[in-house]
Amino acid sequence: MFDETPLIDGAGSEPEEEPRDEETLEENSDEAEMMPESDEVAHEDRSRRDFMTQILAGSIGAIVGLVPFVAGLVFFLDPLFREKRAVDEEGTGSQSGVAKDSQGYIKLPVTRSALPIGGSPQLVTIKDDLVDAWNKFPNVPIGTVWLRRLASGEVIAFNTICPHLGCSVEYRGSQQDFYCPCHLSAFKLDGQKNNPIPPRDMDRLEIKADTGDEIWVQFRNFRGGISEKVAT
Amino acid sequence: MIRNLLSWLDDRTGYREILHEALFERVPGGARWRYVWGSTLVFTFSVQVITGLFLWTAYSSSAQTAWESVYYIQNEMTFGWLVRGLHHFTAQAMVILMAIHLVQVIIDGAYKAPREVNFWLGLILMQIVLGLSLTGYLLPWDQKGYYATKVATKIMGATPIIGVQLQQLVQGGSEYGHHTLTRFFAMHAGLLPGALIAFLGLHIYVFRRHGLTVKDPNHAPDTMFWPDQVLKDGVACLAVLALVLGLAIWKGAELSPPANPSESYAAARPEWYFLFLFRFLKFEFIEHFGLAFGAIYLPGLIMLMIGAMPLIGRTARGHRFNVNFTWALSIGIGVLTLMAFSEDGSDEAHQAAIHEAHRDAIRIQELAGGPNKIPVSGAVTLLREDPFTQGPRLFAKHCSSCHQYNGHNGRGRLVYETRDGKQQVALPTALDLGNFGSSEWMRAVVVDYSKHFAPLKNAPWFKAAKPDDEILDPDESEMADWSGDAESLRSDENKQNVEALVAFLVASAGYKDPPKNNLVARGQRLAVDGDWAGAINGTSCADCHSTIGQAFTPVADDDADEAPNLSGYGSAAWLKDFISNPGAAQHYGSKNQMPAYGKRMTSEELELLVRWLVGDYTPTLVEPYEERRAPGTAASVAK
Repeated sequence: MFDETPLIDGAGSEPEEEPRDEETLEENSDEAEMMPESDEVAHEDRSRRDFMTQILAGSIGAIVGLVPFVAGLVFFLDPLFREKRAVDEEGTGSQSGVAKDSQGYIKLPVTRSALPIGGSPQLVTIKDDLVDAWNKFPNVPIGTVWLRRLASGEVIAFNTICPHLGCSVEYRGSQQDFYCPCHLSAFKLDGQKNNPIPPRDMDRLEIKADTGDEIWVQFRNFRGGISEKVAT
Repeated sequence: MIRNLLSWLDDRTGYREILHEALFERVPGGARWRYVWGSTLVFTFSVQVITGLFLWTAYSSSAQTAWESVYYIQNEMTFGWLVRGLHHFTAQAMVILMAIHLVQVIIDGAYKAPREVNFWLGLILMQIVLGLSLTGYLLPWDQKGYYATKVATKIMGATPIIGVQLQQLVQGGSEYGHHTLTRFFAMHAGLLPGALIAFLGLHIYVFRRHGLTVKDPNHAPDTMFWPDQVLKDGVACLAVLALVLGLAIWKGAELSPPANPSESYAAARPEWYFLFLFRFLKFEFIEHFGLAFGAIYLPGLIMLMIGAMPLIGRTARGHRFNVNFTWALSIGIGVLTLMAFSEDGSDEAHQAAIHEAHRDAIRIQELAGGPNKIPVSGAVTLLREDPFTQGPRLFAKHCSSCHQYNGHNGRGRLVYETRDGKQQVALPTALDLGNFGSSEWMRAVVVDYSKHFAPLKNAPWFKAAKPDDEILDPDESEMADWSGDAESLRSDENKQNVEALVAFLVASAGYKDPPKNNLVARGQRLAVDGDWAGAINGTSCADCHSTIGQAFTPVADDDADEAPNLSGYGSAAWLKDFISNPGAAQHYGSKNQMPAYGKRMTSEELELLVRWLVGDYTPTLVEPYEERRAPGTAASVAK
């Protein structure tokens, strides 16, 4: 499999006769003659000592190199040790004026009665406190949802992010469907996928019951490209 | 199999020869500890590259995010403190090792022919390392780095002819800002390391070309770089790593408060290995020659001397001269560094500034780690809007020329004045506000009025007053008479009543000492109705302070009493109104001597000061400043 060409070997090819390992070293170096240890015991002793030296030198070299590298690597892997990026760690957001309950339902700026019954979907922006590393942005847009009020009066909500690869799903009035301009995923208005491109239906969001005219949505993002709906 | 694979690889790359070349350098006279310094430098640089690249993944170079990202690295990210600590302390180790390496090269005469060029390459490397340390010092954008680096760029500006342009180029403008950071970062993480790698390559190449400068070829039998010298080098690197690791773990890399261009940092110092230069520039005779002389010409001349060593070394006594020059220089640097340290150590103002920076550093971590994290405008706004941080500064600036706070100026320092021809601790000319609003304070106002207000008698206006002047006299007033009525007020039968009145007053101020609710109602009756026992029965506070017992409301001039308005006395609302205009009819009126701060402070500043006085800020673990009462001067009154 590999060429068996002879090695370009130090001992043979170099005029200075630089030895290649500790054994040749001993034979070639000048002090070999000066040294009194010509008997075999001393020779063995020396080889063993050299071997130990090699092991020791190698291990120490590995330690001093690995310590900073491993520390840095753990540091780099920090995102994996971190709790998933929380939109609002406290869950209330009350200080910044976000209306949010303990289960993470956020009050929308539209009311049920403002939505046309059986009408076209409405795009609504969700606002919440956003935590980004050291910053906290109070009451900023964190995503959008498509809202529809069905003929039954029930209101349903979909995350606008396409379950395929994360582009934004748009409403197409001419076809009465949702579609994604990136890879042409298409969905019926009830969220069911309409072609084989997306791996699953659109991601429906929980809407809180018994809130009168108010609409409270539990906003979540989900992993793309897989057939299961898994919150990120 | 593996052997075949390696042979295949070697055939394509020739790696064995390279490896062989690298490892089997001849070491005449045997491996020795004295040869390890160069290797430790290569090692420390490698540590810097590794940790630096990892830090790069989390660092954000702009004026609003540099400190913040470093804070996040240091306090929130896994092992961030360790990686930053390693980078921080290895940088310092590198400078020390570099100095040792240089001194040893000179002593051993390793700069002499044929190694002159390599010596010069080494000097270039030294400049690059110093450049790296200078640029790295600024990157956290904290007070320490910010103000220290300002000095360095100012020195750059003193360069003849091109100084101003040079400074602007380095700073990315005429002032410090985003582009100062982006430029320093580009230099620190790109330009300088790149140059260092290039010159290090040349340095090592030329070193290998000429081989070691052997101290004593008969010291021991010759050996090879691998493994004997490598082992010694490795042990030395391990020692360096252990030291740096220990410092990172037990000392930790410092992060001083975020850079604040509007608040100078009195304790600004360069990194300690530049202290000698800092101290040198402080000599008057050096200052006399101008900044460019001390900071540019003279260091340049010394560098030139070092650079000329290979040439000087060719002359008869040249080497001797070089060695002596090196020792003299080292001693000079050592002495200057020690001088700088010891002078700073005994400089009260410097120590106070460091102490305050340390407090601010803890405080900013508390604020940044709070539920609201750091605002987009940057961490410095957290400190700017924090009453606990700003209150003492405002007090020291505006109030401490008359008032003290637990015997100090609000920032923990004694106030001095020249009295009787000597510099001594100032006598307060107004009340010490350290316990304002507490029951101790309220009790003193009630039962010990004259003594409580006695510091007023130190004030120049009091001493200059003529007998008929309408002034606030601690000894001569209705209040002094009432409070001084020892038999009635301090009698056993009124003991409980005084406690009740004090409890009521503390409760209406509303922030110090736990409220004694069971006494407050009784206290209010005493204040309003004068329900006392004995001779003072029927005398109430409300006789003079008619609005006492009500929440604070400003009173129109026409409705003001003769006596100060004590509705909500000591509360934040009362304080704000009083400090804004103490000479208003409802406060001290014509008797007032205190300036109206409504016109001297912004309303934000007043708000911060008052909130600090009443303790209205997020809780802190920072210890309050110690009470400082110089013996014999505390609240004492000049005779």
